[in-house]
Amino acid sequence: MAPPATAVADSLASPERPRDSRANIDIMAPTHGVQWPYFLALGAAVLGVLQALAVLLYQTYVGLGVAGYQQPVFWGVYIVTFVFWIGIGHAGTLISAILFLFRAKWRNAVNRGAEALTVFAVITAALFPILHLGRIWKLYFLIPYPNQRSLWVNFKSPLLWDVFAISTYASISIMFFYVGLIPDIAIARDRATGVKKAIYTVLALGWQGTGPQWKAHSRSVLHLSGLATPLVLSVHSIVSWDFAMSIVPGWHATIFAPYFVAGAVFGGFAMVINILIPVRRIFRLERYLTDYHFENMSRFILLTSTICGYAYAAEYFIAWYSGVEYEQTSFWLRAFGPYWVSTWCMITFNVIFPQLLWIKKLRTNLPFLFVLCLFINLGMWFERYVIIITSLSREYISGSWGLYVISPVELSVLAGSFCWFSMWFLLFLKVFPVIAITEVKELEIHARDHGGAH
Amino acid sequence: MSELDRRDFLKLVGVGAGAAATACAEPVEKLVPYVEQPEAITPGIAVWYASTCTECPAACGLHVRTREGRPIKLEGNPDHPINQGKLCGRGQASLGRTYLPDRYPQPMVRGAGGSLEPSTWDDAMAQLAAKLDSARGRTWILGGTVGPSLGGVIDQFAVAAGANRIVYEPFAHEALRKGTEAVFGVASLPIFDPSQADLIIDLGSDFLSTGLSPTENARQYADARNVNTDKTGGTRMISFGPRLNFTTTSADQWIPAKAGSEAAIAFALAKAVVAAKGTPEGVDAAGIQRFLSGANMAQAATAAGLEPSELSAVAEALLHAKNPVILPPGVAYTGSQATSTVAAVMLANALLGAVGKSLVVPPATGTADAASFADLKVLVAAMKAGRVDVLLIHDSNPVYSLPPELGFTEALGKVGTVVSFASLKDETADSAGLVLPDHTPMESWGDSAPRPGIRSIVQPTVRPLLDTRALGDSLLELGRGLGGAMAEGSFHKVVENNWSDVNWRQALAQGGVFSEVVIEPVGISGDFAGLGYSASSASGKGDFALVAFPHHFLGDGRGAALPWLQEIPDPVTKLQWNSWVEMSFESAKRLDVGFGDVVEVETPSGKIEASVFPRGGIRDDTIAVPIGQGHSVGLYASMEGEGEHGGWIHGPIGAEGQPGVARGANVIALLPATEDEMGGRVWGGAQASVTKTGRFRRLALSQWTDNQRGRELAQSTSLAELAGHGSDHGGGHGAHHDEPPHTFTAAYDADPNQPYRWGMVIDNDRCNGCSACVAACYVENNIPVVGETQAIQHRDMAWIRIERYVGDGDLEGGAARRPVPNREKLGELDIRYIPMPCQQCGAAPCEAVCPTLATYHNKEGLNGMVYNRCAGTRYCANNCVYKVRRFNYFDYGNENFPGMLGLMLNPDVTVRQQGVMEKCTFCVQRIEGARQPAKDEGREIRDGEVKTACQQACPTHAITFGNLRDDASKVVEAGNHPERSYHLLQELNTRPAITYLAQVTRDENEGNH
Repeated sequence: MAPPATAVADSLASPERPRDSRANIDIMAPTHGVQWPYFLALGAAVLGVLQALAVLLYQTYVGLGVAGYQQPVFWGVYIVTFVFWIGIGHAGTLISAILFLFRAKWRNAVNRGAEALTVFAVITAALFPILHLGRIWKLYFLIPYPNQRSLWVNFKSPLLWDVFAISTYASISIMFFYVGLIPDIAIARDRATGVKKAIYTVLALGWQGTGPQWKAHSRSVLHLSGLATPLVLSVHSIVSWDFAMSIVPGWHATIFAPYFVAGAVFGGFAMVINILIPVRRIFRLERYLTDYHFENMSRFILLTSTICGYAYAAEYFIAWYSGVEYEQTSFWLRAFGPYWVSTWCMITFNVIFPQLLWIKKLRTNLPFLFVLCLFINLGMWFERYVIIITSLSREYISGSWGLYVISPVELSVLAGSFCWFSMWFLLFLKVFPVIAITEVKELEIHARDHGGAH
Repeated sequence: MSELDRRDFLKLVGVGAGAAATACAEPVEKLVPYVEQPEAITPGIAVWYASTCTECPAACGLHVRTREGRPIKLEGNPDHPINQGKLCGRGQASLGRTYLPDRYPQPMVRGAGGSLEPSTWDDAMAQLAAKLDSARGRTWILGGTVGPSLGGVIDQFAVAAGANRIVYEPFAHEALRKGTEAVFGVASLPIFDPSQADLIIDLGSDFLSTGLSPTENARQYADARNVNTDKTGGTRMISFGPRLNFTTTSADQWIPAKAGSEAAIAFALAKAVVAAKGTPEGVDAAGIQRFLSGANMAQAATAAGLEPSELSAVAEALLHAKNPVILPPGVAYTGSQATSTVAAVMLANALLGAVGKSLVVPPATGTADAASFADLKVLVAAMKAGRVDVLLIHDSNPVYSLPPELGFTEALGKVGTVVSFASLKDETADSAGLVLPDHTPMESWGDSAPRPGIRSIVQPTVRPLLDTRALGDSLLELGRGLGGAMAEGSFHKVVENNWSDVNWRQALAQGGVFSEVVIEPVGISGDFAGLGYSASSASGKGDFALVAFPHHFLGDGRGAALPWLQEIPDPVTKLQWNSWVEMSFESAKRLDVGFGDVVEVETPSGKIEASVFPRGGIRDDTIAVPIGQGHSVGLYASMEGEGEHGGWIHGPIGAEGQPGVARGANVIALLPATEDEMGGRVWGGAQASVTKTGRFRRLALSQWTDNQRGRELAQSTSLAELAGHGSDHGGGHGAHHDEPPHTFTAAYDADPNQPYRWGMVIDNDRCNGCSACVAACYVENNIPVVGETQAIQHRDMAWIRIERYVGDGDLEGGAARRPVPNREKLGELDIRYIPMPCQQCGAAPCEAVCPTLATYHNKEGLNGMVYNRCAGTRYCANNCVYKVRRFNYFDYGNENFPGMLGLMLNPDVTVRQQGVMEKCTFCVQRIEGARQPAKDEGREIRDGEVKTACQQACPTHAITFGNLRDDASKVVEAGNHPERSYHLLQELNTRPAITYLAQVTRDENEGNH
């Protein structure tokens, strides 16, 4: 399936300025001017970040007791949200790197947004393991650095693997994002004036669009794709091992790595759709983000939802089949215990609702997709909540069973994390083109040259 | 970018925290080292003093561990014949009295504004002296039991001031004394020794919890039931009572008799005994017949709600046992015929041959004994009539502990001057006109003579911390001022002079003088005038019999000021910090209430409100409320400090500090101010009605379920299985794995090149759940008390807890958000206690997951915990299968040792910072303490040289600690019972260093030899 041919011709027309194009104008349009709704949204996001920051300062000063932890549930919403955001961060790399390697050209229109989402989601996610520490100020203990006292870290601990996995993933994502941006920054540079121009000039790294530059650029994208591809699989596998390596019934399962990766892609795509639908509408990018893209993403969602459904079923099956009472009780109480609401939300939102995507009409029905993806995001958050909280609350020593109740402080930080993410995304929208202009052009030229027969 | 962002974030946090920290910097204080070092104090080396515990009348001997002049830990005095080195939870916690922020810092005088204002000793004493002088004959002294020396000074003062003295104890055991007097002619409290009996019929004495000498009795009872040496399982106990109480838990059979039927049962049993044994020569047989004439087995069974056959089976067992003994009801069941009940019990005991063996009647001690309730009524009448000008109150809290119906509080208003000698704030001192604070026991001289042959010294172990003065010294000065013939010198001298018959210094070092004294046997004299049984009707019209029972830790309420006793869960219900109303699930259903629903309990005497705790172990016609809560004064006793000690934020459920608001309800308000036949105070027999209020107040419940779901956490085996072990193993009800998976040798889990692998054996059959170990652990390891708000959130910090399960459990339940223990059944006993410290696993799940190696396996097999290295990821706690790790949610180490409580901290143990994990380390500081001398002497640490705090405290010797690599060690020997030993959750291959020995169910039929 290819973009409509009329759009191709239009976008390459150059009515106003030399070396400019319709695509440049359309896609750069959001970065110009003052849109009040935009600034209202940004203001709200910044306020949300500030309130969360205040709450976090308070929590750091007073102690983690202001969060809802109760013995024996020592991890709560912070870790839930950490896994949630790390999961969100998967779609970007998947779209950019894996689909790039597979030459799935349709990705070109959505990859920038997805990459940005990845970077900001990882930045958001990385905060949570830090702010859930009992002593934030001892964060550097988790990093292996040479010191006189020969204090070293425990390489057996999955939490340490996390440190490496997340920092690696964050650096690769940022690199990927930035390298992809360079040609577009150059476009922005050419169109900007004053201070803006100076900044863009620095960021554009002297991009002139020469042949050797393009060659180097496409090579680095290719190589970065090669580097990033295994990371898509490894990061969430490692995050899943935070749980799978433990002895907690409900966590200690070999299926966790593929289960978490599929879940991450699933949740990530849902978030991409949730973001691109309003962006497309607000910035009138319908021309570039077409039904075609949304349908492809819907298919991915359907696939990963089904994998998740399989993983859920497999977990329950293994719990039963193992014959281990601890596991059986843990899973039984997941579905019918104190947290049954979360569990059934998770199953309904993640497995049952997405099955509607078998219907082609719904795959291109954007309002439907938008609502469905909201549910999926909620469902994915609940998935992590269920895994973490229910398992911890019903462990081996039944006399030590307990309950976790989310506290106002955690809710505020949770809300703050969405604001933090939105803040970065909104800033990104104002500064950089949300669609990779050069790649869209590439796609369109390709379409024109090959008469739409892809 | 991400790294940079994290750092930026941290900087921001750091700047914020730094700014906050500098804003409240404390003024510079200088540390001044010793210029001349005091003799006997070497910094870093503990000095031990012998003393005596004054928390309860048992008078256990103490060894007070002091460091740099501060007492920091109480342990039992091994030379003391009563407790033999052990100490109960109340004793352990009593150390805190010296350091509580509640103490009066100096004399207080009620000012014009109506509040107590600080004064000076000179002023306050002068003021009192003037009043006393004019109040001759109109002065009364009211106070608790004190030692002989102080008692002597009070008596001298009473003569000098022309005062009347009333010794008042809430639990005065008047009925026990009078009933004993009726039978034997000796008005004293019998000394009970369970080890001398083979069958104990307990009519609700609760002797293991709040009896006359619980620590001693617990040891004797456990020794008498040692399955390792006695294959029959030893002494059996049949316990009566409407409620499954602490002692009943340790019994072999529970007969859930109705509350108030104790008298009927006692008489029925006595009658059966008399019928079988006859009356001895020279005893007024007719008098006994007359005394017992009201008794009737069938009628007693009806009164108790039992089948007559059940009762006659008990009588049968009694007559067939070699050394049976019947224990009279305890405080909770002291009814209107209490003295007659005791008399009947003592008569039966005498005929059964128990007296002189398992029950020894010592000679009467006379005036030092507590007065009866009737005497108190005389005082109150005098007060009401305005005939009391000065009332001196010491060592008691009558405003709290006397029933409001008596009108003591109102009568206080008519007394010219009320003087309190309380060292800690309490309700009585709060309503006094003058407070002359006494020293605390740790600062005082004193003595105690609990029984013939045992004289014990109370010696100060710290210089008085505040401007207080010993009661003895105050009275000596006042008495001299009044021209009375007072003893010479200070009170210290008085005590010393009273001990002039022995080597004073030697006695001080030893803690007293202990000698075996043969107590003259007593014969039945049988003066039963005024006694006898008649079927009585309960007072009040409510649907429920009200059982007001002494709280295991709070006793008569004096323990409520001590935060440890509030926070350590009640062993039976596992509730903390507040009052509760126990009722059966059936009753709760009928009233449409559940756990935490507030109900109003009303009797003709008054009403209270408290939250419901439904349980299986109580009769449908009974409700039970613990005595000891409901204080309206005190940082911990009332709600004054609630919230203050959880950091300065109190969590979502928390309330701000509420001075003057009572913590829970004082059940004494429901009790009538009546007395029994001989003037003793009545605690039982009230009928109460219960109504739902519709409000909810959550109770802090430390353990939500008593169902172990067949997980074999607390295992049990039977005598038959023990006997048949080896030939017919596996026939039991799942107590053991036939082939334990992952067999291992715990001794190997340490560096092979050094001599130690520390390990522990816990004998669940000896554990009675008393939680002395928990208290010892709190004090030894500087464990913070978190308060009710936090306890409700399951954030207690105990490093060792006692889990309580009923039976093997099944897969029911667990789905409720907040379940309550629900497996107790009326008349059934399969209660299993399992103490749970860190298991010091050989393959510890916690160690592998710590990213910073803050928790690690040390060379000697311990799971070390480096607090300084902990960043607080809490993964270790998630991965701990035993759930023994505790997290510092707030800055408990700073906030929760307010005022002088910080002085009580053990300098050998780090005080943990906010945000770090902590856990049991087998008292590693004690191991290190023993290592240095061993190294100096070029030897290894000897077996028994290191005792963990829990082991040291355990009254029943259930805990053995030592080196698993030393084949001759006690711990290896103790664990060498393959028929009972198991490791907790062995199938997980955590290779724990603790071996548990399964509890043994003694078949009830075997009890009836």
